[in-house]
Amino acid sequence: MDPSLELSETPEQIILRWDSAAPDEVKDKMIFDSDREEIDRYLQAVDEIQRSISSAPISDDHNKADSTMQIAMARLEDEFRHILSSHTTPIEVDSLTDPSPSSRSMSTSASGVFEDENDDEPDLQEVQLDLTGSPSFGSSGRSSYRATTSIREIDLIPSDAVIDLRSIAERMISAGYLRECIQVYGSVRKSTFDSSFRRLGIEKLSIGDIQRLDWNELETKIRRWIRAAKVSIRTLFSSEKKLCEQIFYGIGTAIDDACFMETVKGPVTQLFNFAEAISISRRSPEKLFKILDLHDALTELISDIDVIFESKSAEYIRIQAAEIVSRLAEAVRGTLSEFENAVLREPSLHPVPGGTLHPLTRYVMNYVSLISDYKVTLDELIVSKPSTGSRYSADPSIPDMDFGELEGKTPLALHLIWSIVILQFNLEGKSRHYRDPSLAHLFIMNNVHYIVQKIKGSPELREMIGDVYLKRLTGKYRQAATNYERTTWVNVLYCLRNEGLNVGGSLSSGPAKSLIRDRFKTFNAMFEEVHRTQSSWLIPDSQLREELRISIIEKLIPAYRSFLGLHGHHIESGRHPENYIKYSVEELENAILDFFEGCSVTHNLRRRSH
Amino acid sequence: MPATEYPGSFLGRISIRRNQVISMDGAHEQELEDLELFQKHVSERFSDLLPPPPSDDISPDALLSIAWLRKLLDEFLCCEAQFKALLIMGRDPSQIVKPPLDRLVPEFLDRVVKALDICNAVLHGIESVRQFQKLAEIAISALEQRPIGDGQVKRARRALNSLITSMAVEDKDFTNSKSTERAWSFGRRGGGIGTGTGTGTGTATPQHKDRVAGQFRSLSWSMAKGWSAAKQIQAMSSNLAAPRGGESSSLPQTVYLMSTVLVFVMWTLVAALPCQERGGLPTNLPVSKQMSWAQSMIGLQEKIAEEWKKKEKKGSAGLLEEMQKMEKLSQSLMEFTESFTFPLETEKAEEVAAQVAELSETCKKLEEGLVPLQQQIREVFHRVVKSRTEIVELLEYTSKASSPIV
Repeated sequence: MDPSLELSETPEQIILRWDSAAPDEVKDKMIFDSDREEIDRYLQAVDEIQRSISSAPISDDHNKADSTMQIAMARLEDEFRHILSSHTTPIEVDSLTDPSPSSRSMSTSASGVFEDENDDEPDLQEVQLDLTGSPSFGSSGRSSYRATTSIREIDLIPSDAVIDLRSIAERMISAGYLRECIQVYGSVRKSTFDSSFRRLGIEKLSIGDIQRLDWNELETKIRRWIRAAKVSIRTLFSSEKKLCEQIFYGIGTAIDDACFMETVKGPVTQLFNFAEAISISRRSPEKLFKILDLHDALTELISDIDVIFESKSAEYIRIQAAEIVSRLAEAVRGTLSEFENAVLREPSLHPVPGGTLHPLTRYVMNYVSLISDYKVTLDELIVSKPSTGSRYSADPSIPDMDFGELEGKTPLALHLIWSIVILQFNLEGKSRHYRDPSLAHLFIMNNVHYIVQKIKGSPELREMIGDVYLKRLTGKYRQAATNYERTTWVNVLYCLRNEGLNVGGSLSSGPAKSLIRDRFKTFNAMFEEVHRTQSSWLIPDSQLREELRISIIEKLIPAYRSFLGLHGHHIESGRHPENYIKYSVEELENAILDFFEGCSVTHNLRRRSH
Repeated sequence: MPATEYPGSFLGRISIRRNQVISMDGAHEQELEDLELFQKHVSERFSDLLPPPPSDDISPDALLSIAWLRKLLDEFLCCEAQFKALLIMGRDPSQIVKPPLDRLVPEFLDRVVKALDICNAVLHGIESVRQFQKLAEIAISALEQRPIGDGQVKRARRALNSLITSMAVEDKDFTNSKSTERAWSFGRRGGGIGTGTGTGTGTATPQHKDRVAGQFRSLSWSMAKGWSAAKQIQAMSSNLAAPRGGESSSLPQTVYLMSTVLVFVMWTLVAALPCQERGGLPTNLPVSKQMSWAQSMIGLQEKIAEEWKKKEKKGSAGLLEEMQKMEKLSQSLMEFTESFTFPLETEKAEEVAAQVAELSETCKKLEEGLVPLQQQIREVFHRVVKSRTEIVELLEYTSKASSPIV
């Protein structure tokens, strides 16, 4: 004789006592909050009724039993909901966003929640769900996928609650109330996800919203999303799956999967929608690196996604994830192309004062450097060469480039080189805005030199660009330097030439003297002009500055010295020699030191009073 | 076009696409022909969707059934493909950055973005429909028991009550939407409805109703806060105006045509399926009746709008034919459960069985049709994204090509 029935309560009476629809205080109390005896009594009563339904033939009693069963099921549904809701704490996020990936073999001590099974009323509202992996309850041998080190499951609900839930689920499902069970599970858990997502900062943004956000905001959101996605997939979804298994394993076919999918469908869509919206947003160069980050993060997560969402019903999730990765890859390609276009068409018309570094140069080289940092991913994504038009394209608005000499380079490297080619092309155009051709050459020299320095400064970049092209660039800025010297100094040095002067001829011949005086005068005037102008020009790189100055000195000083030596005495013996031989060699040398400082010289060239 | 094809090769494609020797007049004539063909196709496709006169033998897909919606989306995809061909591979791509296209195309692209959001909203909405289906299936399985007993009837009533409550949620009620979390504070209270046989009001406790409504909300109210399908449609149609004509190119007409089709299709989806915030959904489309190609579309739109206006006051989850049927049958079966006494007489039993069978049939249609419908909407989403990307690229390329070099 069943001891519980000795208390002279029939199963029906027990169940009716707990009828949710009854208009008395039983509504506010929950069976599963009562003592264990009461719970067991109730469950046994349900089992009794179930047995009588299965065994008894159709009869009036059957109808009554059926009715009683419905009352029990309605009650159990509420109990189920209650247990789930009260143990559903949105995750404490901070403890989860620990970036160090660790395997599941963490110590299982610590969390009092899991140890204390005698606690009747666990107050879990304040519990910090620690990431100490507690032994998974009820799972038998289904832990093969948990070997993935990046997936970190936690127990979302304490094991005693899981036992209770399971005992309810079993009975609901045997009584044919599977649908209600899935429904109630799904609705409570979905709501939990909503809260967890909010805490993780996963927002519901429409595609329209995302188009309108400015880039800084978007960058922040992307960063946040990446962190949140990792936690969601690796912990939240995986733990949810584990919970479904704990509660529903062994009860019916694939019910755990049905509950899991029911719960996570919405949240997964919400999570992916953001990444998708980013992948279809307008391309603009500054987005490249964040989109790459997003692409890489999602790619990294694919293996976890494939494991967690391995069932057939979850196939569309795996497909969607792959689609988004592929879209992000397209976005990367498109953005790179945008970048190249932007560099080509960058339209600033005002020449940079002093012929110094153009901001475009700095921007492009920084960008290109950063690209080389992302080399690993980009090498995979960038698969076609830049389209540069034919070598002899008729379009003057696009530079030519012959890829023939760049055999064996990856498409990405070709793109980098192409970007530099475009940059130079653009710079050439800008240099034409300088009225003074010397300044134009200086400008080119400065900027190309900077390019060379940047390449040399980054081993990855240098390796990709290659020494062949680097050599070409070096030659270019050296050529620019030479051109500068030619355009500025040829005329100045022309004053110091020996032709037309009677070298070693008869002394004090009038015309010679006046010629020489003229030469000196012209030289002085030209030099002063050049000095005045070119002191305010700038060569930002100190080494280059020095080199150019030395180069000038090496050409100027010997010529001046020689001229002085050969012809100076004609002036010295005449009137007011100081008007003509204004400068000593040292003074000239010192004057050169004023060049390319970028500040105008107000002091007189002469440092020593005459 | 393979997804990995580098967009830069676009340049090559454009420059060798058309034989530039064609004179301007010739090009224009050709364009006009293309437009007329496009208009004709659109007209035909939409007239296919009109319900045929009752005398016809063929039993058509009922208006706004899943099958009909899928057909609508198919037609949309055809129109979209034709439009893309006309716009992107047009004879004179530089048109696209000159007036009036320099304004019309960006406006079109803006509508496209809204359409993408509507697709996402509607996909959520289909999940709601699936929930309705599941509730209906509970009722069906309960009422299929033989003989029908008190327990099963109560069970069915509980499910039907949830179903009816969810479907009847009015947009207006929830503009000051209480969060779904509130629903859970009522979790402790019983959700049971009237007990006993033959009694019961059949209406749930307020808590139960809130919880159910909350569930429904958390599903289809999944778009950003403040997002409104009605407002999106309004915005999409507000600047939709027929080009005045007399332009040198017929591309503006083409863009107008496609825009109209886009707005119509999105509007229809929003009217048919649960969708966040439809209060104030416009019931007129800004298409002039004078456009011959628009006749069928206007006809359809008027029919649907009529239905919408009827339902709007009562509050409705949407005009999807299967959902409407489900609503009707649920109401009827609900009444049955409220007046049930055991045992059931044969006549009544047969009547109920017939309704249950019909409901089951409807659920079957949903079971078979909702997933393909979702897939199709995703397909629309993808295609539209692709076209948008191509159009944007075309814009950027063309505007760069015509801008002066430094």
